[in-house]
Amino acid sequence: MSKNLTQLARRKGIDNTLFQRLVIGEDSKSKAERSDLAKEYLVGEAIVHGTASFYDFIDGSNANKKAYVCNGSSCLCAGTQQAVTDKLSAQLGQENIGHVTCLGRCGQNSAFQINGENFSGDDINALTDGVMPNAFTSQEHYHVTTNLAEPILTAAIDNVDSYYALFNQLIQNHTVDSLLEQISDSGLRGRGGAGFPTGFKWKSCRDANGEEKYIVCNADEGDAGAYSDRYLLEQRPHTVLFGMLMAGYLSGAKTGVLYIRDEYPAAISETKRAIEQFQALNISCDDWHFNFKIVKGAGAYICGEETALLRSIEGQRPLVSVRPPFPTQSGLFGCPTIVNNVETFASVHWILDGNIERFRAMGNGKSTGSKLISLDSSFVKPGIYEVAMGCSLQEVIDLAGGYARPLKALHIGGPLGGVVPINQVANLSIDFESFAQAGFLLGHASVIGIGEEIKMIEYIEHLFDFTAVESCGKCYPCKLGSVRGQEMIQNAIDGTQKINQTLLNDLLETMQLGSLCALGGGVPLPINNILQYFADEIGEFIETQTAQEVEHG
Amino acid sequence: MANATAFLNGVAHEIRAGESILEFSRRLEQYIPTLCDDPRLDAYGSCRVCSVDVALTADGPRKVMASCHTPISDGMHIYSDSPRVEKLRRNIVELVLSDHPSDCNDCDANLNCELQDVAIATGVREIRFAKGKKSADALPAVSIDQSHPYMRMDLTKCIDCNRCIRACDEIQGEQVLSASGRGFASRIIKGQDVSFADSDCVSCGACAQTCPTGAISDVFRADLTKDADVVRTVCSYCGVGCNLNVSVQDGKILSIEAPEDAEVNAGHTCLKGRYAWRFYNHPDRLDTPLVRIDGELQPVSWPYAFDYIAKRMQSIKAEHGANALAGISSARCTNEENYLLQKMMRVVLGTNNIDCCARVCHSPTAYGMQKSFGTGAATNSIEDLKHTEFIMLIGANPTSAHPVTGAKIKQKVMKGTPLLVIDPVKTELARYADWHIQLRPGTNVAVLNMMAYYIISEGLVDSHFIESRTEAYQEYHDAIMALDIDYLATLSGVDKNLVKDAAIAYAKSHAAMSFHGLGVTEHSQGSRAIMCIADLTMLTGNVGREGVGMNPLRGQNNVQGAADMGCQPHQGAGYFPVDEYQQYYQEHYNANVPSDIGYKIPEMFNAALAGELKALWIMGEDVVQTDPNQDHVVASLSNLDLLVVQEIFLSETAKMADVVLPGSSFLEKSGTFTNGERRVQKVNAVVNPKEGCKTDGQIVVEMMNALGYPQADYSADTMLEEISQVVPFFAGITWQNLGENGLQWPVNEQGQDTKILHIDSFKRGLGKFHFYEFEESVEVEKNSEHYPYILTTSRNLEHYNCGTMTRRTSNGDIVSEDILLINTDDAKAKNIQDNSKVRLFSARGEIELTAQISNKVKPGVLFTTFHFPELMINRVTGDVTDKETLCPEYKVVSVEFEGVS
Repeated sequence: MSKNLTQLARRKGIDNTLFQRLVIGEDSKSKAERSDLAKEYLVGEAIVHGTASFYDFIDGSNANKKAYVCNGSSCLCAGTQQAVTDKLSAQLGQENIGHVTCLGRCGQNSAFQINGENFSGDDINALTDGVMPNAFTSQEHYHVTTNLAEPILTAAIDNVDSYYALFNQLIQNHTVDSLLEQISDSGLRGRGGAGFPTGFKWKSCRDANGEEKYIVCNADEGDAGAYSDRYLLEQRPHTVLFGMLMAGYLSGAKTGVLYIRDEYPAAISETKRAIEQFQALNISCDDWHFNFKIVKGAGAYICGEETALLRSIEGQRPLVSVRPPFPTQSGLFGCPTIVNNVETFASVHWILDGNIERFRAMGNGKSTGSKLISLDSSFVKPGIYEVAMGCSLQEVIDLAGGYARPLKALHIGGPLGGVVPINQVANLSIDFESFAQAGFLLGHASVIGIGEEIKMIEYIEHLFDFTAVESCGKCYPCKLGSVRGQEMIQNAIDGTQKINQTLLNDLLETMQLGSLCALGGGVPLPINNILQYFADEIGEFIETQTAQEVEHG
Repeated sequence: MANATAFLNGVAHEIRAGESILEFSRRLEQYIPTLCDDPRLDAYGSCRVCSVDVALTADGPRKVMASCHTPISDGMHIYSDSPRVEKLRRNIVELVLSDHPSDCNDCDANLNCELQDVAIATGVREIRFAKGKKSADALPAVSIDQSHPYMRMDLTKCIDCNRCIRACDEIQGEQVLSASGRGFASRIIKGQDVSFADSDCVSCGACAQTCPTGAISDVFRADLTKDADVVRTVCSYCGVGCNLNVSVQDGKILSIEAPEDAEVNAGHTCLKGRYAWRFYNHPDRLDTPLVRIDGELQPVSWPYAFDYIAKRMQSIKAEHGANALAGISSARCTNEENYLLQKMMRVVLGTNNIDCCARVCHSPTAYGMQKSFGTGAATNSIEDLKHTEFIMLIGANPTSAHPVTGAKIKQKVMKGTPLLVIDPVKTELARYADWHIQLRPGTNVAVLNMMAYYIISEGLVDSHFIESRTEAYQEYHDAIMALDIDYLATLSGVDKNLVKDAAIAYAKSHAAMSFHGLGVTEHSQGSRAIMCIADLTMLTGNVGREGVGMNPLRGQNNVQGAADMGCQPHQGAGYFPVDEYQQYYQEHYNANVPSDIGYKIPEMFNAALAGELKALWIMGEDVVQTDPNQDHVVASLSNLDLLVVQEIFLSETAKMADVVLPGSSFLEKSGTFTNGERRVQKVNAVVNPKEGCKTDGQIVVEMMNALGYPQADYSADTMLEEISQVVPFFAGITWQNLGENGLQWPVNEQGQDTKILHIDSFKRGLGKFHFYEFEESVEVEKNSEHYPYILTTSRNLEHYNCGTMTRRTSNGDIVSEDILLINTDDAKAKNIQDNSKVRLFSARGEIELTAQISNKVKPGVLFTTFHFPELMINRVTGDVTDKETLCPEYKVVSVEFEGVS
């Protein structure tokens, strides 16, 4: 990151960011326009070019296509995308078809985007003359189910006014310290995957010096297979806004920024609508009032990493920043910032509505409250499932009616989550600890079924490839390791050269220990899971080692 | 409480607050390899080669962490060579090499390459990966950029450490470099992916210096060998005083870099310091004394030249008296050389007719600050920028004229320190300013008085400071409060509310630092504007602390030193008045010295024209090209009986001389320069003087001897010893104790130097307020009717003054002419196209030059530079000077212009 660029962006403020100027319309601007932008933002032209060229949807071969076909892991495993591509190509021409990694339509697959709108399932059949008919709306359907006696995240909000009344009630009857204590007492941990204690994060932002602070909602739900955040923003946006409002009040921030991925157009429009409803309520306290701002992403998985996300908003190339400083000390525009996931914010209303004890009582003591699980089309009833932490994985699967097709493994927690062979499912419960102990990762709790027909060697290649494509390119282990890993597997599949086990192990260890962030550091986990649980299937691709090599490996 | 300690490989060491594990281990001289770290840049964490094992207790669980961005903490156990991290490093470097050309022997950077060093240190012996794709595969076909006179780029060698991008941003602040794309395919770009030549690159070379491989380099580095000698010296361009490491082999200079431990420039410098040095052995260099015989300058021997001059001087002196002789010293020469020339004039020839180019630049600063504070020099150090909370920049364009200081200011401002710019031109820094007061040239006093008015009327004065540290406040206060602000705002062409906002912000800041340049001094009210700035600093208590003060950006490398050494007609070495301190000097020189105040430079020209001055000795100064009203200067010089010029090239002035003596460049001599923050630094000869030439100091010494005065041969250390006995603020300076980074005067006898002046009291006791009413320049009053535009002149980044040196380097390929900036409205009114020729004329003369339409100037104002003799901008400049010091008013010239069909 560049402190200069951070501070120059701060001068312009959140309402006038270079990044959003580049994203608007997503049309590639001319050199002259970019030169003017550079002058206006007091940055070098290289900064504007460098930033624009990072994103799939601003510059590069994938920008400005007429339609985008999803190539996320779920659609890939479902095997639906060739047909979609063929249909689109036939009507629009192959050169006008781009790709997009996960539209969050994992419950139906066959996902694609056209004219900024998402479609899935049988929608493709409505395509006529290269467009979707005017009156046509997506026929998407997914289940929203809970086994809780009282739903928390999935509960409907009947009246916005009374929903926000809790805010005034809380600030009148409680001190900031006591409310922060309540968040801590609830045991709420970050739902983005890392599980960091929320109360601790909020307190450290409150304690940080600075007049100007920010609340940032990480709604860049890029994990293929996950769509619970999309669900919340489209169906329950006020839960998220309320959590951000509360975080703002408790930490002293006056601005809440929702970074929503461009692949979720409906989430953007629904959140916008919810913000308007919120604004109409005129909530404030003395001279404190809270404003929301939506920042639209532009197609870069790495922006889900919190420091990359902050740099993205600032108009810098969204490379992962070193820590410390942590965002609570120096985040957006160099100001103390709370970055939380959508679902984390969404839990706050229920907790503070007198349910601290009940929230803490759910789960195993370390992982508390409820959790949303995204199940893809490999289950009989794909959808969003809200269960208590500690609920067995099998119970979730049963709620969904079991598997819709023969599976050999579940990929849980996104591309960097573990690959769980079906025979291990019974040992897992929905909490951070159970997964970690078994050598997997709960992550953001997306579940993709890997069908019997899927070749695990190809799945490894897919994981390396995903990492190579999405790596920000800053740290060497991730940038170089993902490419060399992909080549190694490709060579094995092609029959050019079998895998040298020692070299692969070295590579995975290098990425795991050496990477700057969870992308390069995380991808060895599912690959090692596959190497461990599917050794028989992978064996034919591995070079036979000499005794000496085994000894030294 | 015991000092905090941490353990490095089992051994306990004290730790320092805020240091990273890498800094901790470096301090202990324990090597941890890295590729992406440059200690001058923020920790970046991309290469991961510096990873170490970290545990919180000796036997506790260990975690691999990158040492560059992990802070060390009390009780931490660091294992920098555990088998796990050694293997990790090896594997990372293997990955890097898998994407890098394999044959080092084909590379210019061979043996001068950090990747090579790290590969050896980590013990990578082979690349086990099958041959795969390389990031260079995606490069454009012609990937080697040779478009630029200096900069080179070959991305096949790039390891994406982004040090270049970060240096361009964090050191120079230019952001010419970034990367395009992402991941494996990302690569370094310039601008919107253009060549170096087409980019906004300012050729500072910071990227080339930090590049660990040969991916970004320059035309000189390719020739660099490891066995070249490196000589540290000080740049002779501007008053920043950058330290330079000059690589030399067999008497030839190979390359120049900036030493990273230099306090002044910490490994940075500009294209003049780093690249514009090839003038030193340019074929145009003079290499023999010349004497005008039968109207032609003809080569003669040194003894002949000295004998000739001695006879002529003595006969003029005998006939017309000592005051028919005068000398102009050179701010480009060393302190010792300046000291010698003034000594020759005063002690050997018996006249105080000695001046230097400070007359035409910062004499008002010296005068005004002496009046206000008692010392005519910067109150603080550039290092104080680290502590300041507000910067006021008046009449200066440091990103061009003082590039390293300019870059430091820009860094502060980009990071949010408020900046107030008072300047008629939209300078680079003005783009970043919170307030840019774009006044009409010549109205500084009006605007500075408006500032004072608002500070007082808003109740923002520092009463305690005023009461305890200053005098003459009440009269000043009353005069300021009686001003008609609307009238001042109108005549200076500024928005009074902008001035008010800026004044309030300046006054409210806890630590405000002011910088000024020739845009303040080179005016008819130059000295008065200086005193107005001093008034503001005293009003707000911004003197005598860290991060505050009044800091002139001295123009030439040693203009501070030339004045310190007494190269001025009214004060001798150490600033004692010649009339009151005759005794002092006579005792120190053990000889008679004159006590009557001598001629200032403009007075010398007038006296020459009047036939009163007969002989003039000029050391390294091209007055014909650089002094105003060239016709007048030429006529004056023509009227002399004897003009002696010490020069390295046959300058416009040397062409008129009766005797030309071939001197030496800074690369060929030793001595000291004093930079703009009073820092006396060692200049070390890198090569011998060009054959046939002598150092300027030795020339003066031999002349003194030829005139019958026994002066020992020129030697930096003995000269410095003599100076330290005459100049009190040099008392503790010796050649030995100057060290690598010099000392800031005053230096007491114990060798203690001074970073901040006037801490407890002013040099003159109490600081004194001065009020001056704004007065319109005679130039405008007399000439604006027929010449309604105001021309203001300045320097650009690429060239230095009259360009004698820079034009003889590749800088001339980057900028090859002086350009006239004309506001869009004015260009439209006169139907002038961009890049067309215009005729510019004043009451004195006219020139023709290329116009550029630009909103950097307001309507009615024109701007140009004065680097090229083809143009001779000083044909149009005038005779008006600062009332107190006779510094010429270069910044306000009444002109008219028209298109040339």
